[in-house]
Amino acid sequence: MAEWHRVASEDEIKEGEAFPVTAAGAAIAVYRLEGALYAIGNICPHQGDVLLSDGFVDGDKIECPMHQSCFEIRTGKVLGPPAQQDVPAYPVKVEDGAVFVRV
Amino acid sequence: MTAVAPAQTQERRWPEKAAVRIPAWIYTDPELFERELQTFHYGPAWSYVGLECEVPSSGSFKRSWVGRRSVIMVRDETGAIQVLENRCAHRGSMLCWKNKGKESSFTCPYHHWNYDLRGNLLGLPFLRGAMGKGGMPRDFDKQKHGLRRLRVETRNGVVWATYDEAAPTLETFLGPEIMKLVDRSFPGRQLRLLGYNRQLLPCNWKFYFENSRDPYHATLLHSFFTTFGLLRTDTPFKAVPTEGGRHGIMASTYSRDTASKQNEVTKQLASLKSDFRLNDMEVVTPVDEFGDSSMINLSVFPSVFFQQHGNSLAIRHIIPKDVSSTELSWTFFGYADDDDAMHRRRMKQANLLGPAGHVAVDDSEVLALMQPVAAGFPDSTQVIEMGGRDTAPQETMVTETLIRAFYQFYREKMGL
Repeated sequence: MAEWHRVASEDEIKEGEAFPVTAAGAAIAVYRLEGALYAIGNICPHQGDVLLSDGFVDGDKIECPMHQSCFEIRTGKVLGPPAQQDVPAYPVKVEDGAVFVRV
Repeated sequence: MTAVAPAQTQERRWPEKAAVRIPAWIYTDPELFERELQTFHYGPAWSYVGLECEVPSSGSFKRSWVGRRSVIMVRDETGAIQVLENRCAHRGSMLCWKNKGKESSFTCPYHHWNYDLRGNLLGLPFLRGAMGKGGMPRDFDKQKHGLRRLRVETRNGVVWATYDEAAPTLETFLGPEIMKLVDRSFPGRQLRLLGYNRQLLPCNWKFYFENSRDPYHATLLHSFFTTFGLLRTDTPFKAVPTEGGRHGIMASTYSRDTASKQNEVTKQLASLKSDFRLNDMEVVTPVDEFGDSSMINLSVFPSVFFQQHGNSLAIRHIIPKDVSSTELSWTFFGYADDDDAMHRRRMKQANLLGPAGHVAVDDSEVLALMQPVAAGFPDSTQVIEMGGRDTAPQETMVTETLIRAFYQFYREKMGL
């Protein structure tokens, strides 16, 4: 059963940066995009041993530092090879200045 | 002070009676070996790379060779076959070290540069640096750093590649006589891969090419042939040089009744060589599947020998490694619509070939005897006068016309 997990304070999540967290054993990165918060899987599905949060935020995309596969921050959708699978997207909420991700 | 004369590089000259002599230094000179690769393998020639049935679906690949250069034969997302240089565009590591497999993209083991199935550079680690430091210059263009793609032609399931964009078409390169006979073995029927053998021969690659153009040795060295009546000196035979000696055809005819009159074959044994028998005579009992009662072997220079021994169909890919070392890669195949009996026959008769084949083992052994002699006597010459001194086609096994024709071609191209 998916549950809400507290992963950060709201002020830790900044525009243009990826914030890596772990919740229920899943590697996740939280992003702020035009004010709203998003959480997507943080491991590139291409080789499975790289954190996307070590990569490069380019507008509404995160680019993998290894081979530049890009993923939509809002949806986790893969935008180009070599990765061929999306990363999961997780629901996010803010309560009393704390960020929660449902995993 | 006395002037010191520069060291003279030894000038090599083809011996007199050039058409019927071969100097031994052509098998041992490393500089000549490099020049052969440039002239033939990397020049305007088509090299055999593999079979389409070896790479059945998108991402299936086979590692192969053009000359001494490793290439990757891979089926891309569109279903087309690509032949890519197996050399990372970054620092030149071999990208793919497996002989066969399936990948969605290729990643170099050294720095993990990653390429798609058409050889385009998809990505490289830390393009934009790490922690804000390092990384490639901003103007680094990934599109300019892909793998080199060779020009490819496929015909009836056989994949060929060339480095030369200006080379004539495959059909022109093979010429009408070879093309017709390649199509006999590869008529467009779906192929079925039966298996591989690989071996390293301790000899110069030309020794192997000559061996496949030398019918004179066939009944002498290969006692298995004569013992079991597959090939005898009185067999109707054709030795046909083509395309100015570049390629060559050897065709022999066996009795139409071979299959139905097994007893006659075995009766002949007594007169040929004692009373040798096989427990399973199907190994030496071909069926006339092409309707021409022929065993046809094609030497397609510089990369391949197509062989039909009875019902065993084999490709010998001849891969030069260095001046005194040659890899021989055997691919055995049949047709997808072969019935069980034909499949069994092909598998059994494949025992004649390969590194330990009843027949082919003799060639590896004798060529291993030739290389050290060439190295020890580089200025010695060999005699190739069997069957006369010209290069015309002949209807006998007792001829070296195919070897003479080849060296006429070779000397012209190499300027020797």
